[in-house]
Amino acid sequence: MSRVWLPCGHYHQSYAKDQGWWQTPVIKLKMLLLLGIVLLGVPLLLPGYWVGVCTIIGYTAMGALGVQLLIGYTELITLGHGAFIAVGAYTSTMLVLHFPWPEVLVDLGLAYPLSIVVAGLFAGIWSVIFGLPTIRVKGFYFILTTIAAQFITVDLILTQYVSKIGGRAQSIKIPSDAAKIGPWTMSGDVKPYLLMAVLLILMVMVTANLLRTKRGRAWMAIRDNDVAASTMGINVFYHKLLAFFVAGAMAGVAGAFWVSNTSAMSPEHFPWFLSLKLVGVILIGGIGSIHGAILGAAFWVLVGEFLQMGVLPLADYWPNVLMSFTFLKTAFFGLIICAFLNFEPHGLAYRWWQIKNYFNLWPFSY
Amino acid sequence: MLQTSGSSQSTPLLQLKDVHMQFGRLAALSNIDLTVRKGEIYSIIGPNGAGKTVMMNCINGLYRPQQGDIYFKGSRINHLRPYHRANLGISRTFQKIELFGGMSVMDNIRLGRHIYLRSGVLSGSFFLGKAKREEIETRRIIEEEIIDLLEIQHIRDKTVGMLPYGEQKRVELGRALAMDPELLILDEPLAGLNLEEVEDMVRFIMDVNQEERWRVTCILVEHDMGVVMDISDRVYVMSFGRQITEGTPAEVQQDPEVIKAYLGEEDIYATRK
Ligand SMILES: Nc1ncnc2c1ncn2[C@@H]1O[C@H](COP(=O)(O)OP(=O)(O)O)[C@@H](O)[C@H]1O
Ligand SMILES: [Mg+2]
Repeated sequence: MSRVWLPCGHYHQSYAKDQGWWQTPVIKLKMLLLLGIVLLGVPLLLPGYWVGVCTIIGYTAMGALGVQLLIGYTELITLGHGAFIAVGAYTSTMLVLHFPWPEVLVDLGLAYPLSIVVAGLFAGIWSVIFGLPTIRVKGFYFILTTIAAQFITVDLILTQYVSKIGGRAQSIKIPSDAAKIGPWTMSGDVKPYLLMAVLLILMVMVTANLLRTKRGRAWMAIRDNDVAASTMGINVFYHKLLAFFVAGAMAGVAGAFWVSNTSAMSPEHFPWFLSLKLVGVILIGGIGSIHGAILGAAFWVLVGEFLQMGVLPLADYWPNVLMSFTFLKTAFFGLIICAFLNFEPHGLAYRWWQIKNYFNLWPFSY
Repeated sequence: MLQTSGSSQSTPLLQLKDVHMQFGRLAALSNIDLTVRKGEIYSIIGPNGAGKTVMMNCINGLYRPQQGDIYFKGSRINHLRPYHRANLGISRTFQKIELFGGMSVMDNIRLGRHIYLRSGVLSGSFFLGKAKREEIETRRIIEEEIIDLLEIQHIRDKTVGMLPYGEQKRVELGRALAMDPELLILDEPLAGLNLEEVEDMVRFIMDVNQEERWRVTCILVEHDMGVVMDISDRVYVMSFGRQITEGTPAEVQQDPEVIKAYLGEEDIYATRK
């Protein structure tokens, strides 16, 4: 038997095969098809605006993946994950704009890619620092320390100090040629989208691989039973910090990506609501599932888009509606989360899994 | 009764010296002195609340006794945390099953191999050669040495939380064995099992104690006197956190205090109905 659902009648002959990623030609085909849609279909077929929407979905999913790792796989409830996206965004911005890069690196278009790596590492370390209290504090009190991470990082350090570097008040302008990868300047809709797609695919791969090897199993063990985990020889504190590092690093990369998709960097891009939203995303998508983070992000962003499309025509009759829309949208998402918790507690990922099983077992679906 | 005597049997594996453990004003353990020798099945019996589980928690590091010393393989381990003691070769099951409920049987047992996996975060992230080889080797060991031994092929991909109690007990033993321990602590492994399951479990315990492949020293906390007297090399009797007596099953059964305090009560002595 295998961890994945094989179509009826398929069995594996070796352990190596059984541990593989793409276990049958059919699954391989499906994955290649998916890759094709993500890397070619979306940028070639969708209008520019919707490519941009997909970019936002991916950006949200990158953040949600880290939250999923912490909440869904290690049961470290975090309400401050936006802080680490912000750290990544500002690290990358500062490096790209102010670091004395050797001329060669700039010409080769390596400055921005390197800044993404550094942003990931730095945000990871920053995240570990705020993870340190887990050695003593648990549950509710730990959640408070994650909220502190948000306010200390974004509202204090970034707003009061970092944003003012270069003599400006609030936002830092990012020249359109600042984010350059190799020969390509990240402008327009498609290039940032492709960068996002590559980063997200990498993150999903890393997360999925970690979850099926030593470290990921240790995280899930801590989630399910930390006493038994320590009895199995797992250093619980170390693995919690490792979860913070990996989640923080992914947030940092997501933040660094944001540099390529915005013309100005401001702390307002990383409000506390972003941290809360990422938790909402995995609640809707499904706790403890990688698909869940992506499905939840797609759901959140698309519903927001459709709401906006529905509201725009009303502006003629009710001029105030656009002002109130932000609040209404937030309230609406609150309702959606409540609805999911009550009626679909396993999230979209579970629904997806059921549909998939139905077709895998088809036509013998009993 | 078993007499698997050998020179290795006299080597002490675990020693408790004058161990005290206090919860508020309740002395859960006082003046505990005992030595478990390599290769034996060392049983600990006593009425509920005697402090048996507390003693096991002290041995594997979940509790720190306020006083006294614990030696494992000759070195003092008082200051070591549970994960460190697991790395030294102490493994256990729990009276109240402590499995990873949301994970499959296979993953639960894989977690027993945690201490043997060496691949780092980076090779794990990309499932590179080392991590991949290690995972496949782990899988082989578990399939061939644990799953076959415990006869749990049919449930290996099931989620542990969904399994019936008897099978959970078996998975917990499998997870503890996957650690390839030198000392295996079994805290009431038979409690709540039906007759057939008891027979299987006793057979597994004797197998891992005696088979060349395993040769695991066992500490057995158990209420089933029939089984304890049958398979133990030595028995430690305690009550209210204190030792009553210690010796071979034959010696213990003769002890007047034991007969009075423990074995005399017919309903406890009676093996399960
Ligand atoms: N964590 C704890 N805090 C307070 N008292 C405890 C704790 N663990 C055990 N005890 C007490 O220690 C005594 C021994 O318990 P235990 O070792 O579980 O008995 P048993 O021999 O049945 O396993 C009991 O009176 C129990 O209430
Ligand atoms: Mg007990």
